[in-house]
Parts: sequence; structure tokens; C-alpha cells
Amino acid sequence: MSEALLSVDDLRVGFDTEGGRVQAVDGVSFELAPGEVLAIVGESGSGKSVTAQTIIGLTRSANASIEGSVQLAGNELIGAGEAELRQVRGERIAMVFQDPMTSFNPVYRVGDQLIEAIQAHRPHVSRSDARERAVELLGSVGLPDPEQRVDRYPHELSGGMRQRAMIAMALTLEPEVLIADEPTTALDVTIQAQILELLRQLNRERGLATILITHDFGVVAEMADRVLVMHEGRIVERGDLDDVFYATKDPYTRKLLGAVVRLDQAPPLRPGKTEGPLLEVTDLVKHFSVKRGLLFDREVDRVRAVDGVSFSVERGETLGLVGESGSGKSTLSRAVLQLLKPTSGSVRFDGREIAGLSRRQMRPLRPDMQMVFQDPYASLNPRKRIGQIVGEPLRVQNRASGAELRRQVKELLERVGLSSEHYDRYPHEFSGGQRQRVGIARALALRPKLIVADEPVSALDVSIRTQILTLLSDLQEEFGLTYVFVAHDIGVVRHVSDRIAVMHDGKIVELGPADQVCEQPADAYTKTLLAAVPVPDPRESRARRADFKA
Amino acid sequence: MGRFVVRRLVGMVLVLFAISVIVFLIFNVIPSSDPAQQMAGKEATPTLIASINEEWGFDDPLPQQYLTMMGKILSGDVISYEGRENVDERIVDGIPATFSLCIGAAVIWMFFGILFGYLSAVRAGGLLDRTLTIVAVAGISIPVFWLAAIFLNYLTYQLELFPSGGYVGLTEDPMQWASHLILPWVTLAIVYVGLYSRVLRSNMLDAMGEDYVRTARAKGLSERQVMTRHVLRNSLVPIITLFGLDFGALLGGAILVEAVFSLDGIGLYTYESLINFDLPPVMAVVLFGAFFVVLFNALVDIAYAYLDPRVKLGASAQ
Repeated sequence: MSEALLSVDDLRVGFDTEGGRVQAVDGVSFELAPGEVLAIVGESGSGKSVTAQTIIGLTRSANASIEGSVQLAGNELIGAGEAELRQVRGERIAMVFQDPMTSFNPVYRVGDQLIEAIQAHRPHVSRSDARERAVELLGSVGLPDPEQRVDRYPHELSGGMRQRAMIAMALTLEPEVLIADEPTTALDVTIQAQILELLRQLNRERGLATILITHDFGVVAEMADRVLVMHEGRIVERGDLDDVFYATKDPYTRKLLGAVVRLDQAPPLRPGKTEGPLLEVTDLVKHFSVKRGLLFDREVDRVRAVDGVSFSVERGETLGLVGESGSGKSTLSRAVLQLLKPTSGSVRFDGREIAGLSRRQMRPLRPDMQMVFQDPYASLNPRKRIGQIVGEPLRVQNRASGAELRRQVKELLERVGLSSEHYDRYPHEFSGGQRQRVGIARALALRPKLIVADEPVSALDVSIRTQILTLLSDLQEEFGLTYVFVAHDIGVVRHVSDRIAVMHDGKIVELGPADQVCEQPADAYTKTLLAAVPVPDPRESRARRADFKA
Repeated sequence: MGRFVVRRLVGMVLVLFAISVIVFLIFNVIPSSDPAQQMAGKEATPTLIASINEEWGFDDPLPQQYLTMMGKILSGDVISYEGRENVDERIVDGIPATFSLCIGAAVIWMFFGILFGYLSAVRAGGLLDRTLTIVAVAGISIPVFWLAAIFLNYLTYQLELFPSGGYVGLTEDPMQWASHLILPWVTLAIVYVGLYSRVLRSNMLDAMGEDYVRTARAKGLSERQVMTRHVLRNSLVPIITLFGLDFGALLGGAILVEAVFSLDGIGLYTYESLINFDLPPVMAVVLFGAFFVVLFNALVDIAYAYLDPRVKLGASAQ
């Protein structure tokens, strides 16, 4: 290995909490050479972010104990004074964070935040010079119209532009090391591809040594020279990119790689569904009015969130609904369930027209259509016991009470892979995957015909994801469920769906059997979407990039 | 902006109308609030009462009485039942004292509220934080009239440091103006110092966990820059809201403090009028106070849009 720029030796980070010491990082050692891209992969809680933040001292606090050594070109950073560390932060090691929306201060203009970074280290640089430099940097990361955008507030930029600006801010002082902590996780897949390309370019052109923290093996395969796999605070596997993928030594890594849902692998064949449609949607439109007026509002514009959509779902079938943020997929699923009142169009459920029914008219139909939500943390009431949460639909629909209710709920808990002993526990006592099981049990309680699952696995770790997808498909078989599976990740959608509908700008641009949509896409947008999905396979990924260049 | 102002003005008129109707109705359903009886005195004869009713229009239907009174208030002709003086003139006379009291107290409470809140948050959990917490909670809990009584007893009567009450105009004698106001200022400000420092402390502690604060540290800003430019700046937004509402409400008269320190302001006038069941001045001061509450509400919204660029004035989407 060439001369190390950054070397981390036996790093240990522990936090004292009410529940005792949590050893977040437990003896991590690695080196980073100039110009290298090192990926640190792991699931949530593996210690990868804590490791990265500890390098520049961001985890220092009264309840943290930090041991070991972090050396930047021979200078020890652990134990260095705050003033010394401040010289390193931004100047020599810069960081890019996951969510560019929350990582910028919302009340300052983007340019001012770049200027602040410059002036923090170069107090003698005038504001106008710093502003000029900010414009230049914003331009260099591919932000269109940097002269204009420099004076915009973060919320006035799109997600992709914000992340470009965040990267520009990291580059202001030409650091030697860039730490990118899940830099594309909050972005749409087509935007992710652009940001990854930008990072690759910076690495190539500026020789910027990069630590890339991610949970996504697709991103790793596209970006990394070397890979560390972390699990419970330790490094369980390390090596060159191809070794980690093709000569995996550690069983945990193997399990993780095996759990990755791959877009380019056809899922097992599913029997055809021929019992006739459960749900028929025709010309469904949902517009939101933008209203203005001096004293009384009148409509001045409308957002066409769903703009004339038609599809049907057969009984026992899974229809995948794919689209990026803003495509209208969530609005569509809510309009179908009459949680939002459609502007026009028809929704026939089980042979009955339900578009435009009042809340009261919908009430008897509600048990037949249930929803599973994205965020298993936010969608369970933290002050209610698991038993109450799962039993609530049964209670409000007067299906069961007392001992019978308890029995049914326990049965449901066991059916979704939890235990009946969980009845009296609270949501915070469970992991993300377990909580999503609770959400599924709640949706199942009334024995619905249709379940609309809105991004049911996107908040979960890879290894948990597969378990939940398997559970959903087992339940489908057992209860003859019909699914509308809404997600942004076309790989996951392909894995579970019979047919896929691709949404873009409020319209379905392509609808067909899952394999056909993924392998022979007809629509230009579908092609872009598919091409942007990173493949968790370094050889394939290199081939694709070579193709792209040719 | 134009749209916002127009809507707020219309809203203000509606609110003032609703408040005036409510106050008017309350006074007309309270037993023993017959103004003619009051004016006639204890030895009133039915003829006297009848003639007062006739002269003041108390026999007119209620809507008629309401309109007459509102017309007089707005044109500045309204006369109080008790003392028969021009109400609007009394209010204008009270403005210097009330505004001097409120503005001075506001400066004190904003300065110390923000200072204490900031120190508490930066040293959260430490000795300074705990001390300031006790001070703040004490400030919030101590009743104004008790505190005023203590101040008056020790500082005024025993040590004779301050005058015992009353108001001297700023233009007459600035030193006397200030020395008459110091105790009222401090008394009025103490509650708010406690409240604001607690609110700011918890806002700042929340803000410290935000991603952009981590970004600011990662950029290499000093801890003080991180705290003032990012944590404090963003935590001030709700403080401004609170301030607008509290300050607007006080401009209508700080009744307790003015009464205890015999400051001849709008609050004291309100207090006297309430005791005498004197409807015209009560109507007028309530409208006067409500005007400022509504006005400052609108100003808060405008300030909000400046402090937080994500907020758009009067934006509505459905």
C-alpha cells in the first residue's frame, strides 16, 4: 500500500446511556491512501457513521469515550485540541451528509453558507471574493446558473441541486479527504446516479481521497476501490472491491450480499391470476389547486399530481407502482383508497364504484382495503401497546372484544412472525423490522381484500427487507390478498410484483408484466430509471460504465 | 405582501367588531350594571332615573345603543358615565406612561431572557444552567403584586431609593422618568425573563441536534460561531412570535403593574373603569388593546417571513 494519508488504528467509541455503555465502534483500524475511494458498508447501528464522524471529532461529548488513534499525515487527531481540530475540519477533511435538506441551515442562503465555510478558515478573504469563489465552486459541481443559485435558500433548490451545493461546500477549501456519509440515500435513483458520477469525477480529477459510508452494495460496486464491511462496531470483512464481492470470506457479509434484492435477477415465477379484477381505476385525476386572491381565493394554478391514470388489479395479484419523488404515486394510492377525494375519474372496488363516496359511505368498505405505511417509527402510536395497536381496527369495527379480541390479536402477532408475548409491549421496544411486522398485522386484522403498501421496506435495512418481502408474499398466498405495492426502488418492486406500472409526472408511462418492463422497457423514462439503478456487481457495473462511455 | 395587508386589515376590522359586540353584550347582561341607577346615586327617584335614561339613550334598543356608542368612540366624543370625562382623551393621556412602561420592560426582558436562555442552553446540565433554571422558575412563579409590594416596602419605603409611584414625563425630566419607572420595569419584566429564557433554552437544545449544526461544526466553525449563528439564530424565531403577542397585549395596558405603582397609564384607567362598571371607557380600552394585539399578530407574521425564508406570507394551497 502507498503512503497512508489517513490512518485509523484500534478506534473505540463508547457512549454512556441510561441503559449502560454502548460500544458503537469497537476496535476499528484502516488506512486511506491519497486518491483512493474506500467504502464502509454496514446496516443501521453498525458504527459506520460514528467511525466517520469521530475522525473529525464530531462525536466528542461528555458521555462519549473515545480511544485509539486517528492520524492525518502523521498528526494525531484523537485528543487534539478543539482549535487544532477546527483547522482540520473543512480545511483538510470535509464531510458531506445524507440529507441535504436538513444539513443546510434553512434560514441562510446557500451562498452565504459556502462563504461562511471559506471565512471560517480564511478570515482575511473579503466577502465578495468568497462569494466569487462560491459561485465558481457551485458551477464546478454542475449546478446550473450558479450566479443565480448562490443567492437561493436551500428549500428553493431540488434535492439533487442541494446535494451538489453540499459537495461544493465540502470542496471550498480543497480538502485532502472527503467523507461522504450516505450521500445519495435521500435522493431519487436518477439523481443518485448523477451525484455518484460527480463524486467519481472529483476523485479522478482532484485525486480526492474519499471515504464513502453507505448501506447500499449497488453504490459500493459503482464507486469503491476498497471495501470495509462493519457489523456491531467491528470490521468483519475488508479487501479490494472484487474480493469482497466475489471471494467473500465473512458469513455476515455473505448474508448481506445474499439479501440484496437485485434488479437484474428475475424473481421466482408466480402463477397467473385469472379471477377477474378487484380494483379498476379509470381516468383517475387528482389536482391540487394553487389559490390566490386579494380577499377571496381563486384558483390561479393547479398541480396535476395524478393526471388521468387507468389500470386494474386482478384478485390475488401484486401490482407494483414505481416512481420517483413527485411522480404522484403516493397521491394515486391515497386517491384510490378515497383517503383523498379524486378530482374526477372512476374507481371500482370489488365491482362497486367508490369514487366520490362520502366518509360515512366508505366506512363499511374500509375493512376490505388496508394500508401499510413506510415509516414503522412514525406510523405506530408510541403511547399504545402493540396489542392495542393491532386490535384497534377490530375494536372500532366491532368485530371482536374482550378475550376474543386478545386471542385474535395474539394469533395475528404470531402469524406475522412476532410472539404473543409482545402483546403488552410498546413500539419503542422493537426494531424497525419488527415494527413493520406490527404494521402488517394491523393491516391484516380485518382480513382485507386489498392492501396498499406505500414504501413498506424502504426504511428498513437490507437484511430485514427480504424478510418483510417474504412475509408479504407468504401472507398473500395464505389469505388470497391483492397488493398494490408502491415504491421508488424498481428492484424491490420487480421482486414482488406480477405487473409494474411506472409513474412519471402524474401519468403511468408504462404498464406491463414485471419482467417485460424491467428487461424490455418501451418508455424512455423507464429506460432512464432502470439505467440509473446501481448494480451490486462490480464487473457488471464496470461494463455498464464502459458501455455508457462508448 | 399587498394581499397579506389587505386580508389582515379586513380581519382586524372583523375581530374588533366581534370583540366590541361581546364586551357590549356582557355589560348589558350583568346584574347591577344599570348605568342610570349608578349615575343617579343612592337616593335616586324613579323620575331622575327616567330622565337619565332619556338623556343618555339607555331606553333605546340594544343595537341602537351599540351603534351610538361605537360612533362616539370612533369620533372621539364618548363620555364616561362616571366622572363624565372624554374617554378618548383619557386614553391618549395614558399612552406615554403605558408605552414607557412596556417598551422599557420589553428591552429588559428580551435582553435578559435571551442572555439567560443562551447561557443555560450552552451550559446545559451544568451549575450555571441549574442556577438560571431556579431563577427562571422563581421569576415565573412570583406574583406581580407580591413582588411589587416587596420592592416598594424595602427599596422605596425603607431604603428610599426610588419614588413611591406615579409617572413623570420623559420630556419633563428624563432622570425622574427613569427613576419612577425602574421598579415597574423590573417587576413587569421578571415573569417574561423567566418564561423566555426557558423557551429559548429548550429551543436551542432541540436545534443543537439538527443536522445543519453538525454541518456547521464539520465546516470548522468555532463553537461560539456554531452556537450564535446557527443554534441561537434559528431558535429565536419562536421567541419573536411570543414577543409580538405579549408585547401587543401589554400595550393595551399593564393593569396590575400600573395599578400597584400608580402609574397613570391605560392599565390604571382600565382598572378604575372596571371597578366602576363604566362601560364607555371599558369598551374603548378593550378596543384599543385588541387593536394592538391584532396589529402585532400581523407584524409577527411579517417578521416570521423574514426570519424563516421558508414561510410565505398568505400562501395557501389546497
